[in-house]
Amino acid sequence: MKKANRVKKVIGVLLLQLALLAGCGSSTLSVSETDSLEAETAEEGQGIVVGFSQLGAESDWRSANTASMLDAFTQDKGYTLIYKNGQQKQSNQITAIRTFIQQDVDYILLAPATESGWESVLQEAKEAKIPVILVDRRVEVVDDSLYTCWIGSDFELEAKKMAAWLKAYTEVNRIQPEEIHVVNIQGTIGSTAQIGRSRGLRNAALENGWDLMEEISGDFTETKGREVMAALLKRFDNINVVYCENDNEAMGAIDALESAGKKVGSNLAAGEVMVVSFDGVNEEAKELARTGKISCIAECNPLHGPRVEAIVTQLQAGQRPDKYNYVDEKLYSAYLPIQSIEVDGQTYEIVRP
Amino acid sequence: MKKEKQSIFMKASDTNLLLAITIVIFFLMYLGAILFIKGGFTKPQMFFNILNANASLIITACGMSLVMITGGIDISVGGVVALVSMCCAVHLDYKGGSIFGSVLIAIGIGVAYGLVQGFLVAYLEIQPFIVSLAGMFFARGMTTIVNTAPFNVANEEFNALKNARIYVPGMGTVNKKGIYVPAYVEIGVIVAILIVILMFVLLRWCKLGRNFYAVGGNAQSALMLGINVKRTKFLSHLICSTLAGIGGYVYFLHVGSGAASHAMGMEMNAIASSIIGGTMLTGGVGNIIGTLFGVLSLSTIQNIVASAGLDQAWWTGITIAAMLCLFLVIQSIVMAQKKRALK
Amino acid sequence: MSNSKSKISLWRRLVSNQMFIPILALVLLAVINLIVDPGFFKVTLGLNNAGNPVLSGYLITILDYGSELAILAIGMTLVTAATGGQDISVGATIAIAGSAMLHVLCGGVSRPDHIATPIWVAFLVACLVGMLCGAFNGVLVAIFKIQPMIATLILFTAGRSIAAWINNNELPIVPDPKFGYYGGFIPGIPIPTTVFIVAICIVVIALILKFTNLGLYTQAVGINEKSSRLNGINPTAMKILTFVILGLCVAVAALIKVSRLSTINYSVIAKDIEMDAILAVALGGNSLSGGKFNMWASILGAYVIQFLTTTLYKFDVQSDALAAYKAVVVILLVVFSAPKVRETLSAGTKKIFTRKEAA
Repeated sequence: MKKANRVKKVIGVLLLQLALLAGCGSSTLSVSETDSLEAETAEEGQGIVVGFSQLGAESDWRSANTASMLDAFTQDKGYTLIYKNGQQKQSNQITAIRTFIQQDVDYILLAPATESGWESVLQEAKEAKIPVILVDRRVEVVDDSLYTCWIGSDFELEAKKMAAWLKAYTEVNRIQPEEIHVVNIQGTIGSTAQIGRSRGLRNAALENGWDLMEEISGDFTETKGREVMAALLKRFDNINVVYCENDNEAMGAIDALESAGKKVGSNLAAGEVMVVSFDGVNEEAKELARTGKISCIAECNPLHGPRVEAIVTQLQAGQRPDKYNYVDEKLYSAYLPIQSIEVDGQTYEIVRP
Repeated sequence: MKKEKQSIFMKASDTNLLLAITIVIFFLMYLGAILFIKGGFTKPQMFFNILNANASLIITACGMSLVMITGGIDISVGGVVALVSMCCAVHLDYKGGSIFGSVLIAIGIGVAYGLVQGFLVAYLEIQPFIVSLAGMFFARGMTTIVNTAPFNVANEEFNALKNARIYVPGMGTVNKKGIYVPAYVEIGVIVAILIVILMFVLLRWCKLGRNFYAVGGNAQSALMLGINVKRTKFLSHLICSTLAGIGGYVYFLHVGSGAASHAMGMEMNAIASSIIGGTMLTGGVGNIIGTLFGVLSLSTIQNIVASAGLDQAWWTGITIAAMLCLFLVIQSIVMAQKKRALK
Repeated sequence: MSNSKSKISLWRRLVSNQMFIPILALVLLAVINLIVDPGFFKVTLGLNNAGNPVLSGYLITILDYGSELAILAIGMTLVTAATGGQDISVGATIAIAGSAMLHVLCGGVSRPDHIATPIWVAFLVACLVGMLCGAFNGVLVAIFKIQPMIATLILFTAGRSIAAWINNNELPIVPDPKFGYYGGFIPGIPIPTTVFIVAICIVVIALILKFTNLGLYTQAVGINEKSSRLNGINPTAMKILTFVILGLCVAVAALIKVSRLSTINYSVIAKDIEMDAILAVALGGNSLSGGKFNMWASILGAYVIQFLTTTLYKFDVQSDALAAYKAVVVILLVVFSAPKVRETLSAGTKKIFTRKEAA
């Protein structure tokens, strides 16, 4: 009898566990119900289903980019957006795209984590006749018909604008080029932004004769930026320009510089260290630019949503959009003596942050 | 009625009981996904995608189960997978790098890891957790030393192999544009299935396989039975690490790149799969088929969570942990009850 | 002959002392640094950007950044002694406790103008959260009899996710500069605040060990659970208690970690610290399979590890590659402290000495 009781207990516990599992299931269901409804309406041809594989949520830029997409493809406009966060991993994104194909979406938006390794999955999408629109970073494929078009920033142009600003700065202040000791806190190695921005700086340093002392990755994060800057300060004592490949890194670097007792600003002659950066999305970074702690920010416009939506509308209407679409980008600086710069024959006004 | 239930409960061996629980839960879960989430779960390819993405996990989890059955643990497998993919990527990037060479590298790294860890655990009697913890850190660190930046392989032969498909006839579906989307599995899945069969045979019908259970169940009495306990433990680690090497290659074949962040947390998924599949941490109990279902359950629940719109990064971690916790507690209770009932 | 005998006994006593290995490692590291760059030991008094006097130099860095590790080593030593296993979730629980602390401090807003609650309230909340996590681990270990490393695997897997969840994946920034004092400097005092925090922790644990039976009981449970039960100790309660104490240590470490940045990064905060904490216990010559322990050796071990880390950083080792070098050190360490190897070694040294005698 006792034994039986115990067994009963065990079964009871097991049932409880199952109930728990079921409980988990039901809580997810409440969310999924809307999803399945959407899927049904989509199947009836009343909406356009768009699968969006975002690479992650590593920076403020990325979050703004995601928010812009979510705002552009709303239910009211007749869209169903299935958003998948790739958590910085290409393999997650490949799985997401394969799931999109199975879910029978109409368009796939892809913000790729890396440039290479996309052939096979893009081929699958192409075979299923689902157009793929690339956002932000590009992919390296031999056959460029694997994707419909690309929307994003010209990262090398951003770097060129920044270099032109720095050159204008040296000219205004009569600083010899070899007195510019610059370190580059790079982004995540291998990303399009890092490649373009690093290349731009390298070329400019060669052209102008600046002393580019070190290039080291800060992974686009504030924490890593701080860590890397602190390490750089221990190795070099003559750094006067810090080139950060995004704002988060710049914030970390400024923190590290100030903790080490350096003054951050645009007055190199007074021994200040100049920090320049990219993105201009984060309010905090803009505030730093207003107070002059970041001398110059080259904007990287994250608001791709409306542009992408326009392309989808074009495709719906049977038109062919341009293969490469660049978004307009500004240059922010509170340093008054420089009003405008020129890159490749085009003049860019400096905007006050 | 009660008596019958009790007798079934008592008759089933520990292994079979836990295996049954896992399989039932997996089918319930998948059924639930088909019924309630219209994320394409009815399509066979959805299931094949799970297999394609988790072939390497199945292989490493098989090795993990073996070590756990023998009473040990190996948390270095994720690191080994990352190291293997990085080394193979670098090898294929050089001129003269060949697929054969890269396979040799993968297995070589696995075997080397197995030899060192097995020796330290079995013959120097150092705790397997500490040994493999150090192994994990070593592998992760070495991966960044080999190459800091992640990069994709451009070798054409390799990419042909990577993109090779085995089409499953009759399983494809037609999408709303009227195009037939065929169902397929990758080569890695075939490797994984072969290894599952091999390991199943080894554990079920080979003398060596039974030795693993004996050593894990009670090392003392295994010694009395004339089993070479040290050698058995050594072999379990050797096989586990070798499988991690092979799993690493399958992973590499799936993603086609090397990166220090590859297979982050894979060891935890492998352990969780084994536990969910009914392998006991205390050793002596476990089943490869259970492990297979463990991997499938784990990835299905992740898929469900993602399809249900809860795809913020944290949900994956929390669901895996919750499942792990659940199964650990079930195991603990079931075993405690059985023990008491046997007295 | 008597001379050589006393040599043997002196050598034996030295080697068998638990403090021998950490001190030897410390001396070794110090000598290496002295040879490579004597400037390593330079400590200077400078002004930070707020204009307050601060001490700086590698030694100060070691003292400062070794603090979290030293505090964790206290709890980890107790858990190791009582359960014969280690807690691998400390890094993840630091993230949880830190996240909870920030949530309370910032009142759920990511960029508040002023703190929502006093710092001590937030710290109490963190303590509570840390102890809860500890209790969760403890219950799994003590009541459900799951191996400690596997039981703590659950929080290890989920911890950082839970931490991100608490703040909805936002990274709140604490606006009050006073919050930064705990991981930095109090204006006017040139010594890092963390040094004082560690000192307080050490004094507290010393008093507890001296005036209560905690040390004795944990060792008794670790050596033989059954006989400790027969002696009237409740092993289940003792095990849970050690995990709860570790949870408290985690909360203190979280305060320091979060204070250093005034914010948090869920995936990076206290990453791999569990490895260092376990290593500190092992380096202190404590058996990882439980039983007798020496708290002071563990704490010294923690600083030795920080010394090693700082040295490696100084040699320009990348932070990602650091793990590989440390792993080599760990393996060497556990190999030399393995009972098997020790037996063989001591037999070997004996032979050498006896041979000398014969000569």
